[in-house]
Amino acid sequence: MATQVRLESQPQRGRVLPAWALIGWRWVWRSPAAAIVPLLQPFFFLYFLHMIAPPEYFPLQVAGAMLFSTQNIGSWCLSDSAVFRIELRLQDIFVASPHDKLRYLFGVAFSNLIPAIPALIVLGVILARVANVSLTGWAVLIGCILIIWVLYSAIGIAVSSRLRSQREVWPVGNLIFTLLGILSPLYYPLGILPPIWREAAQLLPATYAAVLVQGALGLVGSANLALDAALLILSTAVGLAAAWWLYEWRER
Amino acid sequence: MAFGLRWAGSGVFLATEIRVQLHEWLAIVTGTLTPGALLIFVAILAPDLLPVTLVGGLVYSMFLIGQRVLNEAAYIRIDHKLNELYHASPLSPEGYFVGIAGGMLVAYLPPSLVLLVILEWLHPLSLVAALALVGCLLAVWAVSSAIGYVVSTLFKDMKTIWPYSALLTNLFGILPPVFYPLRLVPMEWRALVLVVPTSAAAALVNAAAGLETLTRGETILAAGALALEAFVLFIFGIYWARRMARER
Repeated sequence: MATQVRLESQPQRGRVLPAWALIGWRWVWRSPAAAIVPLLQPFFFLYFLHMIAPPEYFPLQVAGAMLFSTQNIGSWCLSDSAVFRIELRLQDIFVASPHDKLRYLFGVAFSNLIPAIPALIVLGVILARVANVSLTGWAVLIGCILIIWVLYSAIGIAVSSRLRSQREVWPVGNLIFTLLGILSPLYYPLGILPPIWREAAQLLPATYAAVLVQGALGLVGSANLALDAALLILSTAVGLAAAWWLYEWRER
Repeated sequence: MAFGLRWAGSGVFLATEIRVQLHEWLAIVTGTLTPGALLIFVAILAPDLLPVTLVGGLVYSMFLIGQRVLNEAAYIRIDHKLNELYHASPLSPEGYFVGIAGGMLVAYLPPSLVLLVILEWLHPLSLVAALALVGCLLAVWAVSSAIGYVVSTLFKDMKTIWPYSALLTNLFGILPPVFYPLRLVPMEWRALVLVVPTSAAAALVNAAAGLETLTRGETILAAGALALEAFVLFIFGIYWARRMARER
């Protein structure tokens, strides 16, 4: 039975963000593997790359692992919002509440940022030890992490809103985020990619984030930081618009 | 518990699982992405290691089948509550476990065949190497399916399972020398990694294919450990399936 509720008469402001942070924290607290896996995931990849790649790429790969970990938050957002909607039927409650679509998106993204923060801090400490990072370098890195976090979380939640079964979560999430992770040159310089691949990679925002970070940290030769930053913002805006279009808040 | 095995309904359940899995073509395709990503990393950063990485990709794909068993068994039990129906039916617990594991093996074989074709093109295998490859891959499938099935029964919700699945694939697939050669591992660690089923399988196949050198002692250690783990864990998987059925 549908009930008409005057939403404007309900409280519109509240401690929504801390509540979502608490959801993220409770998830980590209740499931130790959920805390350990996001922390370890980038290090598994780093270890593998350390074994096979030239050692001079290591600082670049640590910075890449920070962006990769952030990108992975999108995959967790996908699975979380699918569980909330399909299994727990929580999204119906959010839809009926004064909590709007944008706050829900941001809340899920924020709650999933919490388990990723320890890994990002440890990687940041490693980066500080293996590379001489300036204040500008840190600012660019943090800015890129925030942009990638917002964009890929939005993509994850938008895609999740179109899934009909929990069975689809793993393959769809894996397909999107692994492909995006492989295509963007997070762990090596863009210049060493074959030409066709390089052009395909240049369609992705994470590529510009990686190139911008590598340039700002002085890990690659010449870099046009202003152009890379402009392209990162442009590609992110396009990605966010696509995610907004795809996102289904109310079930039909 | 009687030691005799009962296989009632195994064939039908195996056919059902194959059919169900073949409908999940997206999951089959995405299963190739992690080995694909690592292959691309190697092709860009260390192309001379490609044959070793392809062997690793095959071993990893077999290990991933076990993780798909984990997801499927959990999905049947938690989401669909179907396993209670299965256990109440004439389908034996052995048939249930082997049906899921076998169905996954058949459905997920095609991507592995693609890797095999590329390996054959880059580094043709001798008959001995091909036999070693088949034997080792079957052993990894047995180990991984048993781990996947047992782990799937330990949780009450799907969301909790995913991190453990990721942890297992990374611990067994990425960390030990599966995608990279054993020679890059320090000498003092070699004995340890040769008892890990995935790296033992990769080392044995690489040695048989002439991509790696193992001493006689190391070969015996890797082959013995892999065979023992496959046998013991597969039997344990069957025991666990019976135990789960009895509890219900």
